[in-house]
Amino acid sequence: MKVKVATKILEANDRIALENRKVFDRAGVFVVNLMSGPGAGKTSLLEKTLSGRGDLRIGVIEGDIAGSDDAERIEKFGAPVVQINTGGACHLDANMISEVLGDLPMDAIDVLFIENVGNLVCPAEFKVGEDMKVMLLSIAEGHDKPLKYPLMFQESSVLILNKIDLAPYTDADIGKIKRDALSLNPGLQIFEVSCRTGEGISEWIGWLRKRSRTSS
Amino acid sequence: MHEASIAASLLEIVSGQCRKGGYSRVESINLKVGRASGIMKDALIFAFDAMKEDSPAKEALLHIEEVPVTGLCADCNSTFTTEQEYILSCPSCGGSSFRMTAGRELDIIDMEVS
Repeated sequence: MKVKVATKILEANDRIALENRKVFDRAGVFVVNLMSGPGAGKTSLLEKTLSGRGDLRIGVIEGDIAGSDDAERIEKFGAPVVQINTGGACHLDANMISEVLGDLPMDAIDVLFIENVGNLVCPAEFKVGEDMKVMLLSIAEGHDKPLKYPLMFQESSVLILNKIDLAPYTDADIGKIKRDALSLNPGLQIFEVSCRTGEGISEWIGWLRKRSRTSS
Repeated sequence: MHEASIAASLLEIVSGQCRKGGYSRVESINLKVGRASGIMKDALIFAFDAMKEDSPAKEALLHIEEVPVTGLCADCNSTFTTEQEYILSCPSCGGSSFRMTAGRELDIIDMEVS
């Protein structure tokens, strides 16, 4: 006997993501799903963003396969932080986020960063309840990345190019990264920053501040 | 890369339907998988076969229909289908104001049960 199923395989995840989103919306929290390959500088970007946050109240969910190093780095800034260990999984999913929502003081957070597992592929597939996906690429990773890993560039609203202080020491063609990223996703907002020197960070924070206010 | 997560969700949905409908055995499952979904057909079948043992789908075969990437160009108003996984410009006019209309599917269509 043939039975019609007509269901999206990721429907269960999308449903939980929507529930998470309702919790965030009720509390007026703007949520950023922060994604990149390992070592591009996600936690460094968060440290810089926390340093320059002013009165913007920032909370963080850290996702890693193992360890709590990242959460400890965030804690030093006095920001509420929860560490998730995926125990091998290559991405965060909506259910993992749902399980830690109770551990965060939602009423005391304006912007919540969900730092995904370092991986340029899988996190782009799974909604976690975010308002916006932001991806980070360090220029040292090479200018071939947009065309090699197109999905994340297509799914993100913002691309932050990190480590631009290394430009003179690499052969990476920043113009090509931007051109290819924009042809994959013409609406992409691009920032060039260096978490090491602080270059470009205030533009990013200023933009984030404005964007989070217009949404919540 | 995360075909195992997808296979686990698939088994969960199929097992749920079996519980609801009182079916004891799934013989086959028809899926539609878009070429730009990031999911490899062979890896998904491998993961599904490895995980299906303790479920009503333990003898089920996966039939996967691959859906090519299809787009609609706002510059030249053409609809196009391509064999590529990703497109950077409209194959007809080279413009970039196109949107993908198919190719990201990851859907269970139906299943044969007894």
